[in-house]
Amino acid sequence: MAAESQMEQLIVENVMKELAKRGLTGNVSPNQEETTKKAARPQPKSEPYRESGDDPLTIPEITGIWVPNPENIEAIKVMKQATPARIGLYRAGARPKTGAMLKFMADHAQAMDAVFLDVSEEFLQRMNLFLVDTMAQDKEEFLKRPELGRKLSPEGERIIKEKCEKNPQVQIIVVDGLSSSSIEANVPDVLPALTQGLTAAGIRVGTPFFIRNGRVGVQDHVGKVLNAEVVVSLIGERPGLVTADSMSAYIIYSPNEKTVEADRTVFSNIHRGGTPPAEAGAHLVDVLKRILKAKASGMKLNQ
Amino acid sequence: MVLQVTKTNNANYQTVISVGIDIGTTTTQIVVSRITIMNTAPGSSVPRMEITDKEVLYRSQIYFTPLKDHHIIDADAVAQIVLREYRVAGLTPEQVDTGAVIVTGETAKKENAKKIAESMAGLAGDFVVATAGVNLESVLAGKGSGAAAHSRDKHCITLNIDVGGGTSNIAVFKNGQVIETACINIGGHLIEVERQGDMITYIAEPARAILRECGLSWQVGDRPGLDEFISAARLMAKSIIESITSGDISPITGELLMTPPLKLDYRVDSIMFSGGVADMIYGDSRPVSVSQISEYGDIGPLLGWAVRDELAAAGIVPEKPGETIRATVIGAGAHSVDISGSTITVDEAALPIRNVTVVSPFVKGVPEAGGEITAAVHLAAQRIISDGSAQYVAFAMDGPAEISFAAVQELAQGIAQGAADFISKDKPLIVVVEKDCAKILGQCLKIILGEKGEIVCIDQVVVGEGDYIDIGKPIMGGRVVPVVVKTLVFENTATRKD
Repeated sequence: MAAESQMEQLIVENVMKELAKRGLTGNVSPNQEETTKKAARPQPKSEPYRESGDDPLTIPEITGIWVPNPENIEAIKVMKQATPARIGLYRAGARPKTGAMLKFMADHAQAMDAVFLDVSEEFLQRMNLFLVDTMAQDKEEFLKRPELGRKLSPEGERIIKEKCEKNPQVQIIVVDGLSSSSIEANVPDVLPALTQGLTAAGIRVGTPFFIRNGRVGVQDHVGKVLNAEVVVSLIGERPGLVTADSMSAYIIYSPNEKTVEADRTVFSNIHRGGTPPAEAGAHLVDVLKRILKAKASGMKLNQ
Repeated sequence: MVLQVTKTNNANYQTVISVGIDIGTTTTQIVVSRITIMNTAPGSSVPRMEITDKEVLYRSQIYFTPLKDHHIIDADAVAQIVLREYRVAGLTPEQVDTGAVIVTGETAKKENAKKIAESMAGLAGDFVVATAGVNLESVLAGKGSGAAAHSRDKHCITLNIDVGGGTSNIAVFKNGQVIETACINIGGHLIEVERQGDMITYIAEPARAILRECGLSWQVGDRPGLDEFISAARLMAKSIIESITSGDISPITGELLMTPPLKLDYRVDSIMFSGGVADMIYGDSRPVSVSQISEYGDIGPLLGWAVRDELAAAGIVPEKPGETIRATVIGAGAHSVDISGSTITVDEAALPIRNVTVVSPFVKGVPEAGGEITAAVHLAAQRIISDGSAQYVAFAMDGPAEISFAAVQELAQGIAQGAADFISKDKPLIVVVEKDCAKILGQCLKIILGEKGEIVCIDQVVVGEGDYIDIGKPIMGGRVVPVVVKTLVFENTATRKD
């Protein structure tokens, strides 16, 4: 350790002397040692990264075709239309081009944000959803201890007993899961479409609410507490690099102690680039009607 | 030979039997195909039904089209052909789910062509539709020949020209999609010759123009020499080549074009020939005598040879098609039907519906304001009501700019109000949207309309003003409907140049 820092100091001193010789640091002051130490210290990272001047870094578009002189540009166009994968972006040696790399990193950052940020209070107010917590105290615990996200906190259980209509045919819950941003992107269209369709079909819909730091299994707990015939969870999917905004609907019929994962019906890939959220809401109405009629969900429904 | 018509039917995989009947200038043919529709989405996604396979199960004999005279098709004889071929194939009309009857080429000009197409459709099966139009014929031939698939597989632009007995139908495909069509009134059966002989037995009207241009004054009963036949065939071939290549169009080609000429403002990668004459284009026979070229009772073989010669002169090497003489009938049988998107709203009792007139109320996409939507739909509905000709009307649109619940609700409100005068118990409200939003749009419409009328709201079908569509009963557990678009949209894309 000591040897390393000595070496580091030596290098820094040499560089500074070299720069001084070329007249790039102004006068070589008597307290030269102080200056070099200061320069070697890492700069604080509180400022967002800016490429130059005051312009924030713009994320490059990767919708174009970057292959120089392609043999058949039409073929690349068709292929690009068929997939959101990062194709037709050429390369720099064996590596991606800078633009493609920056976009990749930006998408990755967005995926990270989707997991770590919370659904905003303003959003919940707008959607008229109240918030309850699971047994997970915070995001970190939620991520490390999956089982805590499958159970409401005692306080949460008390709140829903107090605020929710009991014995509904369909209980809708909104759960952040692994993508808070997918909730904000899709729920405003799925929820009204779903509620409208169910109500029009004469189905008794319970009081919807939001669960923070929740996983799929929390729907079993909610179902048991409210004695719901069916519970639908609108839950954020693990974000990917194509979209961080994909949401799933998990549906369970009459959850109890014997409920296993195969009992759940799931529809994934609800987002603007997949099944449009409003359309998905209307489709879920049909699925729920079938589940209520068959009195079963998941694999039991398909038998 | 008895056809084993096996069908599978469950919510994720279904086969349908489709027939094609082509009543052409020279020949009449029937094919039976099996179309496979599958849910291609993974189990955890909203279903996505797609046509995954088209297999031709049965090809009929090739019959000469029975005509009473040069103006009337022999309906009884055509019906006999259909019944006979069904019997041979071991097929009953009840087993047939869909398909199309098309009357093509010169035969389409006969006085009873429309009636024949409709009566044959009824005879062939419940949802077999009657189709017509030179542009549709061009598209079906190009799909049947394999040109559409060629352009999709090779990511290129492929031009198909189906040289038949009466017309040459041109369709250009880019990545599997048709981009342009045209039709020229030239075919191998426009001049009929005594079989294995050399006496002229009939000259169709369009052929007179060719003969006039060649300075030939043939009459029925004449026995011209081979060199005269060759000069007429050469001019026909030249006109055909002119119609599919860019450059000046001679007055005679202009006169014979039945549609505006191709724009050809793009590079064509491959040219394919189908139709009865195509076999001669890809063959290597040479004309030695009139009696040798007249084996089919017309100048078809000679025209094929002449086209091959002209192609060689122009330095064009044509691509080989998958089908030649059967291209159009296979197009009608296997490629006329399509399916809607997989999340739709339909009242099953209202289907099937045939010959639905398509109107596009919105010129520049769906307006944002509800009032404007209502006004535009109302105007379109009024236009149809005052016209009085259309029994069923479909309102076609691309969909809201952004498929949000609020926008769809607004659109449903606008359509319901605008079309209020038009909806009645026996006239369902038919809406065709391009974007994937028919389920939610249908849900909103149903709630607004209540008991006032039935709804057929389907998506992922592209149609435009002036098209006609037929919508079949739902399949795949009620998830999708078969749709036949009888498009006329290419008719008015350019002004005629003659």
